[in-house]
Amino acid sequence: MGDIMEMLASALRMTIPVLITALGAIFSERSGVTNIGLEGMMMTGAFWGAYGALHYGPVGGFLLAIAMGMLVALIHAVVTVTYRVDQIVSGVAINILAYGLARFFSIALFGMATTSPSVEGLPKIDIPVLKNISVLKPIATDISPIIILGILLVFVTYWVLEKTVFGLRLKAVGENPLAADTLGVKVIPYRYIGVIISGAFAGLAGAYLSIEHTHMYVEGMTQGKGFIALAAMIFGNWMPYGSFWASFLFGFAEAISMRVVQSKVVPYQFIKMIPYVLTLLVLAGVVRKAQPPASVGIPYSREGD
Amino acid sequence: MNKRFKIILLQLLTPIVAILFAVVLSSVLIVAIGKSPIEVYQTMIEFSLGRADSVGAILFNATPLIFSGLAVALSFKVGLFNIGVEGQYFIGAFFAAFVGFTFTGLPAFIHLPLAILAAMVGGVLWAFVPIYLKVRRGVHEVISTIMLNYIAYSLIHYLIADLFMDRNQKVPEGLGSPLIRTPHFAESALMPKLHGFLSFFGIDLPNYVYLNWFFVIGLLLAVGMYYLLWHTPFGYEIRAVGSNPKASEAAGISPNKIYFKGFLLSGAIAGLIGLSHLLSFYGYMDLDFPKNFGFNGIAVALMGNNNPFGIVLAALLFGFLNRGAEGVQTFMGVPMETIVIMQGIIILSVVVAANILGRYVKRLEKKEA
Repeated sequence: MGDIMEMLASALRMTIPVLITALGAIFSERSGVTNIGLEGMMMTGAFWGAYGALHYGPVGGFLLAIAMGMLVALIHAVVTVTYRVDQIVSGVAINILAYGLARFFSIALFGMATTSPSVEGLPKIDIPVLKNISVLKPIATDISPIIILGILLVFVTYWVLEKTVFGLRLKAVGENPLAADTLGVKVIPYRYIGVIISGAFAGLAGAYLSIEHTHMYVEGMTQGKGFIALAAMIFGNWMPYGSFWASFLFGFAEAISMRVVQSKVVPYQFIKMIPYVLTLLVLAGVVRKAQPPASVGIPYSREGD
Repeated sequence: MNKRFKIILLQLLTPIVAILFAVVLSSVLIVAIGKSPIEVYQTMIEFSLGRADSVGAILFNATPLIFSGLAVALSFKVGLFNIGVEGQYFIGAFFAAFVGFTFTGLPAFIHLPLAILAAMVGGVLWAFVPIYLKVRRGVHEVISTIMLNYIAYSLIHYLIADLFMDRNQKVPEGLGSPLIRTPHFAESALMPKLHGFLSFFGIDLPNYVYLNWFFVIGLLLAVGMYYLLWHTPFGYEIRAVGSNPKASEAAGISPNKIYFKGFLLSGAIAGLIGLSHLLSFYGYMDLDFPKNFGFNGIAVALMGNNNPFGIVLAALLFGFLNRGAEGVQTFMGVPMETIVIMQGIIILSVVVAANILGRYVKRLEKKEA
């Protein structure tokens, strides 16, 4: 039992960065903008998180990471929403740009291209009540507050999207921008906000990796998690709860893959493929039908060109 | 001024303006780390263009990008977005590697073409999945190819590090562990360098430059693709479906068939991307086999406006930037990453500039009407 709980705790730690990024992606996609620059935004967050944590403490690190994630997202928004450039092209460029910027600033600020000095994380916390149940000890004690925040964000995202005027309008803009525009909902600002929220979340998730998980910035530490988050969001059918379960499944797969490296029963590379293969199956309709927002990926302008 | 002439002039100016914009923004970074931009660019140009080995290196750098730019552009032309070029070239490279280390004793004129063919088959296989899902299941090819890229990375990692790892390496007693790589390829599977050919013209390249015949093949492929797209019925169908699938269907062209053929052809070209490095520089496949040629191909295709000759120029530009980056890092202590950043900015400014130009042209045409 203890082993299983340890495994769950490890899975939970792997889930959080993917989950937070996937939740952010929901805002962007539901407003109608595909964001494959998430990987670059996470990388940006991981780097500036470590830099901020080094100079201003962990909270400063997280705030700086969120701000920088939003800044990179703003580029994506300007290029795709205002200039209506293909969203995939912009995302690819953002990833290249973010990789170059992270390395550049790493050399300029840390004197090393690939790592930062080690940084201190947020104080670890125990969950009241749950911590007293001995079985739950591994997942209820000594955990990062960001894990709690990530799980709370699932409910917050659901509430914002389903219960607030802002959320309903955001979704309207992603489903049928022309109709939304006709009813007086301003399409452009909603899409900007959607994209920028995704940047903030991805920045936060990246900073979790560097500040809380590894306690330092390491080049390439996002390891495609931005893309896994995109997969989790699709697997979760563009919904917060669905994305949570998908992220958890992928986090669990990652936790397993780390444990079977030695065992040789299944090559761990195959376990690493699980998120991608599952997402392909969902998209192919083998598991169930994928339902993306109707207007995602299509730039909007009143003239219709 | 004649309107058409004006539009063509603007189209030529667009990438130049984008490059200048990127140069200006990169200069800000260079100033920020206390170096002089003018000196940096000067070093870049002198180092890259003033020495035969640099020019050879630029052409070698450009070779995979010509293939990847052409592969991406072909998918663009048919109206699809092949982000999976990245995975397709990894799989293609492994197929070629497999042929390279499995067969021995074949004459080179059979072995090498067989390796090239295998690479194309690998690329086609990896392209088949997304285009099948697209045509039959309506799955967006961008998302499926992103997933397949990561599956390819993991699969190749497994094949190199486990199933086909070279276990007969001679490691000196007590000195390190065997390298994680495939066995060496037979000599007959390697692509000869261009050095012998060039020495006819009095150009002597040093041995550490790996410029080989794949560069020439890339140029021929660009010519071939130009001919295919603009001078054959199939090329016409590709462009017709790419610009308006519904109208093509009404005209009796089946878009799904063209999607299939066009995408698989894109995959076949993608399979070749890694070969210039694999069958010349490396001679085996290991975990350091270069990544990202596929993604950079997107930049090259955009930069070259999806025109085969434009793509060759764009690939040369990127080859030049990479070589220049090595120069400024060595001689001026400016991080190579400045140039990576510059590439990212170039892509973004090219697409934004192309968009602004497109709107301007449209307005111009409206005025006329």
